[in-house]
Amino acid sequence: MNQAEVSQLVSKLRIRINPRHKNLKCPEGPQGRLNKLRKTVNALFKYERLELNYTLADETRGYAERLISEAIRHGDTHKPTMEMADYWIEEKQLIHKLFKVLVPRFNDYQTSYTMLYRAPKAYPEIVYPRSVLELRGNPFPAILPQRSDQRNFIHNVLLDEAKKAYRAEKYEEITKSLEEQRDE
Amino acid sequence: MLLKTLNFHRFKCGFAPVLRASRLFSNSPPSDVQQPSDESISGKQVKPERKSVVPSNSRFIYPEFLPDPKIEWRNSLREKLERMDMIQRRKHIDIPEFYVGSIMAVSSSNQHAPNKATRFVGICIQRLGCGLRANFTLRNVIKHVGTEMKYQLYDPTIQKIEVLRLEKRLDDELLYLRDAPNEYSTFDENMEVEYLPEGAPVPVNPEMVKLKPRPWRARWERKNMKGLADLGLEDRFYERAEELATPWEKYDLMKQYRKTIPEEEQKEIFAEVYSELHEVEVMRKKLKRKKVFIKPTKNV
Amino acid sequence: MSTIFAARQFSTSAVSNHIMKLTRLRVVDNSTIGKQAMAEGKPPRCIHVYNKKGIGTIGDKIMVAIKGEKVKAIIVGCVKEQKPNIPRFDSNNIVLIDDNGTPLGTRINVPIPIVLRTILKEKTFSKGADYTKLLAIASNYV
Repeated sequence: MNQAEVSQLVSKLRIRINPRHKNLKCPEGPQGRLNKLRKTVNALFKYERLELNYTLADETRGYAERLISEAIRHGDTHKPTMEMADYWIEEKQLIHKLFKVLVPRFNDYQTSYTMLYRAPKAYPEIVYPRSVLELRGNPFPAILPQRSDQRNFIHNVLLDEAKKAYRAEKYEEITKSLEEQRDE
Repeated sequence: MLLKTLNFHRFKCGFAPVLRASRLFSNSPPSDVQQPSDESISGKQVKPERKSVVPSNSRFIYPEFLPDPKIEWRNSLREKLERMDMIQRRKHIDIPEFYVGSIMAVSSSNQHAPNKATRFVGICIQRLGCGLRANFTLRNVIKHVGTEMKYQLYDPTIQKIEVLRLEKRLDDELLYLRDAPNEYSTFDENMEVEYLPEGAPVPVNPEMVKLKPRPWRARWERKNMKGLADLGLEDRFYERAEELATPWEKYDLMKQYRKTIPEEEQKEIFAEVYSELHEVEVMRKKLKRKKVFIKPTKNV
Repeated sequence: MSTIFAARQFSTSAVSNHIMKLTRLRVVDNSTIGKQAMAEGKPPRCIHVYNKKGIGTIGDKIMVAIKGEKVKAIIVGCVKEQKPNIPRFDSNNIVLIDDNGTPLGTRINVPIPIVLRTILKEKTFSKGADYTKLLAIASNYV
């Protein structure tokens, strides 16, 4: 490889790309590798959050991002994109989800469409590194806990104080109105 | 789930590209981006608002300005310096638009030649490399012997590159001409330049090449060449080619991605070099007009 | 049985088109012996390359077996991929010479790489063989 292929244009992905693909240990060769990845891409679009081996998750992430970016770029009337979606998504109702749910969701995103987290290994049963792969904007509770030290940020302190002052003001108003009622 | 109870750390969220991307898109007002999200589902209708002066076919005319997509070899500083050198060279010598299949003539100074200069005419059969290492191969049949010459595009010894006939062929590489009869790659050395009308699209020559019988330099039945006429082989060759075919590769999205430069990066590169390239182009057109003006005076 | 032959399991490398021992070559001058050999369909074989690599390229002296004789020759064109600005030909061309470097023929009918002028001049010494006579009978340079 010494020159870029110019026959088709692609959108830039907002994730880190490994210089080389991973073979994923597949006896059926490259075709079997893609079949493996198809299953996980399909499951990712279906469940929006997966826990799986890190290598597979990292590979799947690129394919899922590319599929979404192609769908955003060309829309559902573009024939090659539809063919691509048809190959990658085995459950055909998920193609509707891709074009009608995920594309509007990710249309204005300035970040990546997926997130990858390292997950803990359950020693000694699992030896390979585990990870969690998810689509952004999924309905599940956030994986990362709210960081406690954020409470001490200056704007959060000020907001808290403002909240307190507002509440005190309200309480005062309420008590005043109650007193007025009693007086009457 | 186990996950919730334990600590996670976040990685590879891609903050750096986000920042760069936002800077790229900054020439369109943010209010415009938010508006059409309700009415149009596909992103295609959103993007054309970002209009630039760089023509969309720059990547076909100047493919060597795009760097090698191999990630380990990328180096933004080196690429930028190379682009500057390339433009400097283009200001000194006219490097015209050409494609694989165009018929070209290259004059270069040659220390071994008696008059210290040589000229070679031939059809461009291959265009390889990027940056200052970009090269192309010309092929011609001279005295019934197929002769090929490889030239570096930015070689300082090159004096003149002429495109005698600007056209494309059906394939991106014409290496099968080596296995074709001589008449397919025979071109007159004193060929006149054929001018295309201003603004006309580059014509595609739909010539189908009939190869000589085997043995060949490559197994052409396995390469899916569009410009090859019926190869006339036994069935077993086609069966074997079918066995070895890799039809799943066109669905390998990441393989394609690793082989190309994404559109945003291409725009950045061509926005950087386009103004100077355009100047060179305008100067070339002026010179061309001058040449056309001089011609009748010579005849008189 | 046919499937076994079709799917052979050993790997094969790409053809490198080296000129080495037992390579068939093409005589491009008009010497009688060369013309006869080419006309009979028995092109000469390289039986020795006079350099330390054993692989000949433009300007190298080789020994060929032609019509049962041992004759020396100069390579004047290779099929192998060449560096930029050096031509590559569709056949491995040789010109037959005698021990003094004088060509056996009187005319070369194919294009000759220009770089050969310099290479042969460098190989010629005042008391050794004079290879530059070959350049005088060439009709066309590329």
